[in-house]
Amino acid sequence: MQEIFNIFIKSIFIDNMIFAYFLGMCSYLAVSKTVKTSVGLGAAVIFVLGITVPVDYMLNEYILKAGALEWLDASFVNVDLSFLSFIMFIAIIASMVQLVEMIVEKFSPALYSSLGIFLPLIAVNCAILGGSLFMQEREYQSLAQATSFGLGSGVGWFLAIVGIAAIREKIRYSDVPAPLRGLGITFIITGLMGIAFMSFLGIKL
Amino acid sequence: MYSNGYIFRYAAIMVIIAAALLSTAAMLLKPFQERNVAIDKMGGILASAHIPDVTASNSIKLFNEFVTEEIVLDQNGEVVESYTEANKENAKAFSLDMKVELYKKSQGKPFELPLYVINKNGQSLYVIPVRGVGLWGPIWGNIALSSDLNTIVGVTFDHKGETPGLGAEISTAAFEDQFIGKTIFDNQGQFTSIMVVKGGIGKLPENERIHGVDAISGGTITSNGVNDMLKDVLETYLPYLQKHR
Amino acid sequence: MSAEIREREALFSSKNIKLLKNPLNLSNPITVQVLGICSALAVTAKLEPAIVMAISVTLVTAVANVVISVLRNGIPPRIRIIVQLVVVATLVIVVDQILKAFVYDVSKQLSVFVGLIITNCIIMGRLEAFAMANKPWPSFLDGIGNGLGYGLILIVIAFFRELLGSGSIYGFNLIPEQFYELGYKNNGLMILPPMALIVVGVIIWVQRYYTRDLIEKN
Repeated sequence: MQEIFNIFIKSIFIDNMIFAYFLGMCSYLAVSKTVKTSVGLGAAVIFVLGITVPVDYMLNEYILKAGALEWLDASFVNVDLSFLSFIMFIAIIASMVQLVEMIVEKFSPALYSSLGIFLPLIAVNCAILGGSLFMQEREYQSLAQATSFGLGSGVGWFLAIVGIAAIREKIRYSDVPAPLRGLGITFIITGLMGIAFMSFLGIKL
Repeated sequence: MYSNGYIFRYAAIMVIIAAALLSTAAMLLKPFQERNVAIDKMGGILASAHIPDVTASNSIKLFNEFVTEEIVLDQNGEVVESYTEANKENAKAFSLDMKVELYKKSQGKPFELPLYVINKNGQSLYVIPVRGVGLWGPIWGNIALSSDLNTIVGVTFDHKGETPGLGAEISTAAFEDQFIGKTIFDNQGQFTSIMVVKGGIGKLPENERIHGVDAISGGTITSNGVNDMLKDVLETYLPYLQKHR
Repeated sequence: MSAEIREREALFSSKNIKLLKNPLNLSNPITVQVLGICSALAVTAKLEPAIVMAISVTLVTAVANVVISVLRNGIPPRIRIIVQLVVVATLVIVVDQILKAFVYDVSKQLSVFVGLIITNCIIMGRLEAFAMANKPWPSFLDGIGNGLGYGLILIVIAFFRELLGSGSIYGFNLIPEQFYELGYKNNGLMILPPMALIVVGVIIWVQRYYTRDLIEKN
């Protein structure tokens, strides 16, 4: 239980997808103009990560890993399908994203239009695929651990995008040099936030 | 508008084509790929012992020439099999996969370890394969120890997907050459492994610098991965090393 | 003969030239469309991987654009994301497998980039925004143009990061030994990912200073 909680906290702050690994930058930079849309996108990312990581975990554990098919028949013990893991993970992610897209379109057309192209792009949001690949690499011991990792990473991403959106809403009242306004200053602020977050790197949980 | 039936048919056909393409490619190309992987493995083992001029085309020949013995150890460091015959790639030691063996170890099951003996200029060098995790994926390599089973003669590292310019620097000569001449046991015979020190070995006390190397700046997580990999794997070989020093 | 000329004119009409040229500046994938940032951060610590990545992405975007453009009328919109991703991923993985079998050395250097290429939002972004609605030839040009625009920025970032962070260009040391003896030090911060973001920020600043149309209104 404690282990699961540790993984959760760790994936929010120490292994933050945005500030520690710089994953999922594109939608992070482009859809962080207002707090409202960023909350929407952040929630979508939590949802997608929270589902795809455990699903990919099961897939990896019972189908793809070397010897994973043993539960079907003892003769499958030597089958190693791990060369398929990349495309399988992507397929799961893409179908989940498509699902989210349909749900958002149905229940919140305003959010749907403000997210624009970046909703389908969650599918290639490196944070999502990164989540699944990290899960495979770090060899989590149980489904609960994988789920808590997925959710934690999502929450970390959510916090990061809401944080930058809040800064961007305030910065609108400042006198930023015209060519730097908007995107330019956002890049620089993100870089500075990243440097600040590096101080978490040494913490061991 | 597209009907649901059409969508299902489209998806099914697409999946079948993609699956067929991928599995055909995987099946047809597997023997070539395995050959390349084996050659690469031999090249790594030879390179760690600083055998000169190893290329993809001559590694098999050089491997058979320089490797005199391939040993399989059990978890207690006892020699299970010693292979000295001519065709070195058929040895059991060569077919052992460190990933699988280390996984067995983590599960508390019995496991076996490979050890290669290389004869270079009349001197016996012992090559230990290592494997661990970096930032994005697995990292692996070989450590060549001199016949005192303490001093490092050379190392090679490789990785699947570390960040180019940062973590990926572990496979450069600048990083690997630091290991030459370092020792894995201290004067009292205590196992120290090799520490990969962030900020440089200048941070260590004078007498411990012989057991440390500089980490890669900007590649902290990969450097820590190398540190943990060396400690874990060398510890696994400890029973054998201590018995034969 | 006149038919042939007309054909050529159609191939490189001013509209098509624009498809190639615009992504270099006015609709640059990184600094204007904000696509492909993750890989821009990951491969720009040194110049060499940046160039490799630029070439691979240009090729993959162009080919994927053509494939999707050919298929565009048959793809049901509801599952288009999956179709696009499967096409891109299959292409890249098959190429990687072939490289692994026949030119292992090249594959070893490139395999790092395979994952980055598949999840590169430039490819998906162009498939979604352009190839789904245009004919194969313009899609091809669009892919090449965007790949080049992306590569241009990558190379500029990598140039400064390698020069200031490691004191070298393409692996060759440029800063003379004497500088180091006088107390000059490579800036270790430059090779960390946050500095890449700040360098991009500065590039945007310079670009928009000269291309006033791109300045955002609040």
